[in-house]
Amino acid sequence: MKVDELRSKTLSVLLSGARRESGGELLGLGSGREQSILNALSLAGQSLRFDRPAVPSEFAVEHWPRDDRPIIPNRLRRPILRLLDRSTDDTARALALALERRKLRPHPFDLPMLDSFVRRYADRLGATAQFWVQKEAPAQQIRGYFDADELSAENWTEASPRSRARFLRDLRKQDANAARKLLEQSWSRENPDSRVQLLSILHTGLSQEDRQFLESIQKDRAPRVRAIAHRLLMALADPTGENPALAACLGRIQRSKAGMLKRRNILKLEMPANVKEHEANRWIQEQFADVTLEQLARGCEMPERELVQAAEEDQNLLFALTLIASREKNIDLLDEITDELPDAWGRMSELTWEEDVERERKEINSWLAALIKPKKWVPAVPFPAWSWLHRQIEGPLPADILRGILASRAWTEQIEPEKKGGSELVQVICALCPPELREAIRAQLEPLEIDRKEKGWTLLEILDELENVR
Amino acid sequence: MAGISLEKIEALAPDQASLVAARKLVKASGWSGLSSDSAGLIWGECQGSGSSPYRVIVSEADAGYKCTCPSRKFPCKHSLAIMWMRAEQKIPFDSSSTPEWVNEWLRRRKTGAGSSADPEKENAPATKSLTDAAADKTEEIDPKAEARAAAARERARREREDAILAGLDDLDTWLLDQVEAGLAGFAGQAGKSCRSIARRLVDAKAPGLATRVDALPNRIYSLPESARPMAAVEQLGQLHLLADAYRRQDSLSIELRADVRREVGWTQSREALLSDEGALTVSGTWRVVGAMSEVQPDKLRRLETWLWREGSGEGPHCALLLDFVPVAGGQTKGTYRTGEQMQATLVFYSSARPLRALIKEVTSPAQECDEDVSLTESDLPGAYEGYEEALAAIPWLHIWPMSFMNAKVRRSRSGLFLCSAEDGAVALPLITGQADVAAPLGAVDSVNGFALWDGYACRLCMAQTPLGRWVAE
Repeated sequence: MKVDELRSKTLSVLLSGARRESGGELLGLGSGREQSILNALSLAGQSLRFDRPAVPSEFAVEHWPRDDRPIIPNRLRRPILRLLDRSTDDTARALALALERRKLRPHPFDLPMLDSFVRRYADRLGATAQFWVQKEAPAQQIRGYFDADELSAENWTEASPRSRARFLRDLRKQDANAARKLLEQSWSRENPDSRVQLLSILHTGLSQEDRQFLESIQKDRAPRVRAIAHRLLMALADPTGENPALAACLGRIQRSKAGMLKRRNILKLEMPANVKEHEANRWIQEQFADVTLEQLARGCEMPERELVQAAEEDQNLLFALTLIASREKNIDLLDEITDELPDAWGRMSELTWEEDVERERKEINSWLAALIKPKKWVPAVPFPAWSWLHRQIEGPLPADILRGILASRAWTEQIEPEKKGGSELVQVICALCPPELREAIRAQLEPLEIDRKEKGWTLLEILDELENVR
Repeated sequence: MAGISLEKIEALAPDQASLVAARKLVKASGWSGLSSDSAGLIWGECQGSGSSPYRVIVSEADAGYKCTCPSRKFPCKHSLAIMWMRAEQKIPFDSSSTPEWVNEWLRRRKTGAGSSADPEKENAPATKSLTDAAADKTEEIDPKAEARAAAARERARREREDAILAGLDDLDTWLLDQVEAGLAGFAGQAGKSCRSIARRLVDAKAPGLATRVDALPNRIYSLPESARPMAAVEQLGQLHLLADAYRRQDSLSIELRADVRREVGWTQSREALLSDEGALTVSGTWRVVGAMSEVQPDKLRRLETWLWREGSGEGPHCALLLDFVPVAGGQTKGTYRTGEQMQATLVFYSSARPLRALIKEVTSPAQECDEDVSLTESDLPGAYEGYEEALAAIPWLHIWPMSFMNAKVRRSRSGLFLCSAEDGAVALPLITGQADVAAPLGAVDSVNGFALWDGYACRLCMAQTPLGRWVAE
């Protein structure tokens, strides 16, 4: 009996059941009915096992992109996997930034193990990583895979949100009108998050030529977009003109005089009774979002510099001034304010920042120097503040500032050997550490228990190695 | 003796916490009697929270270890720490004579691997354990008792043979019941039904067959619904083949007879195989090409290490080292890492297609090796033909190793496939568990590698590509 014949005779009976009235077809394969059935079972089963697996009629065509970035050296693959296993986001961010800076990419075979890291930082990790995170996305949602420096006016809409923002920001600096026109062209296809991010880029090089576009989006569906458009229009308006937000702020600022020999101005911000303590920072941010320093000084009838002295006894008002000075990049004034309010950056870290605030490295450094004053800190700066700082500057702190931090009480008290926990803090400080201070920070961490310092330590080692990759 | 590398320690550690805990113990102050011998044994005592220190022994040859601490992690932090100190070589190890507790461990291991075993030490009267001494004494004084014991063993063997044959008859009856009910619906009630006959086979002292039947529902459920009826025919057909082969084992070749007896549940002890002068032994450079860890229905963890012999020469190129550990013990990995290389002599269990083996002697312990493994020159269709030949030789074959060149990993709607370079020749579906981890292999045009094929799906163990080595972990 041939295999085909065997199968045609036996399989239907085996599958549907060989009850007493059936199964006659199987007789002859053994001595007696039962043996015939069992032999048929074995023969049919064994013949099936020699069938080769069916080849699918079609395979997906996967076009892995060309990626000119070199792959990280093999010796770093395992340490990176170990580092990212239960590390903080600061550590992951520091690694992603370092890979971006060195134009390196993770090994493609590690992408499944690094999936959450790659998803979060794909736009910093090269074209292969971007392909990886979109491999299961519906075709209509797939964007292109570009490194930011390959973008042009023709393909910028296909890149990742962060790369697009960077491209538009650079274009805005070179040709403000061209940037706005590109944004107008793609506006209807943008989602609310992109609209918020891209619209806030128009702060740079804002001019009357932007007015028409800004007025056209005043009725946007997203309240956040409407708020930014309104703010930009306010900035275009006559600074001496009427500003309802300013009037609201001035209505909450009490002015008085103090001093016996020399009368000086005192300003006090009266918080609404229904704003609880933990909501104060958010309320101040919203209240002063559309007010400029110039307007505030004029409204209070004093020069800008005098505002700080007048507000020195009111931490909430000083914080409002911090936000405005930071927004307007008025570094000198910010420096004065933080002398009075050294934990301003801690309070800033509690807020959410939706607008695009990318600055040049030089600007960042002067902003940091004005904002971070370790000698004036009271102990125990909360961990989220450090993490916020790393998110803001996307890189290491200037060496002078970190040197001050390493010498500050706020830091040295945190790494006392008897303190428990603190691995997160060690990680973020290591993430903020510039190359020239890595040895110093290692020396400080040396006495700590291994589980407190291990992640930060490994991060420093990997960053060292990445910098030496040729 | 080359030592254990830090990378290997990391791979052995059950989790990151164990590594961190071990790192804290890497200092001479917590240890006493840190010593080593020329055979690659290191030992020492670590003061833990208990009143007496924990005794820790590690064999560098095969990364075997033992610690007297009550930890449920394997290896524990003490074992990892002593390996760590050895790897770093910052803390000196004395060269002292082997203490009795170390010798006792060596005797108990009975692996023959590495031979941890210095025969001279084993035979030294001063190091004999009480158990051994008692056994010697019995041998000397009571040969009649030994004869009685041998007769009892023979009686037990015959009783077991009878029990197995009775169990096989019950298995046939059960198979008939399933066929009469129709195998199209077998998958729907396979769990309960298989469990009951598996219990019967355990009672019939056929544990190998029982495990096979117990694992059958999972194997069928892992397939697409449309493939399950045919899979039921295949799997139940194999059971009858096995039963029939066992009944007429005297007419089979010695090798196939050994295969069928092993499948049913007869075992050959390590000692018996190692001392069997007729057993197939193969020496050479062996590379680890796959490591698997799987929990069985009987709550044992099955640790598989697949070895590939480089170079030419007689004998099998592929070998399987198999270990079983209780799941409750916590050990999740074997001691070898894919890519490692060692010089060793292996002794194979008798089989029509010898695969399972024991390490008889290690001349150079397992070390990291970045070089590509010299695999067979066969392409994927050629490797598949090797499977078909093996299937013809051992009809109840379960897993078959395949070494191949120039394959591709491609994605279809139903998952990833390992495909031959030539379109349409062979396409083997990868197990669903590898759908993600093997996906990056789609980025390369050609893959040489090693995989395990079970007739339904392929588990890729290792691939050598232009982007480097890919390892399933």
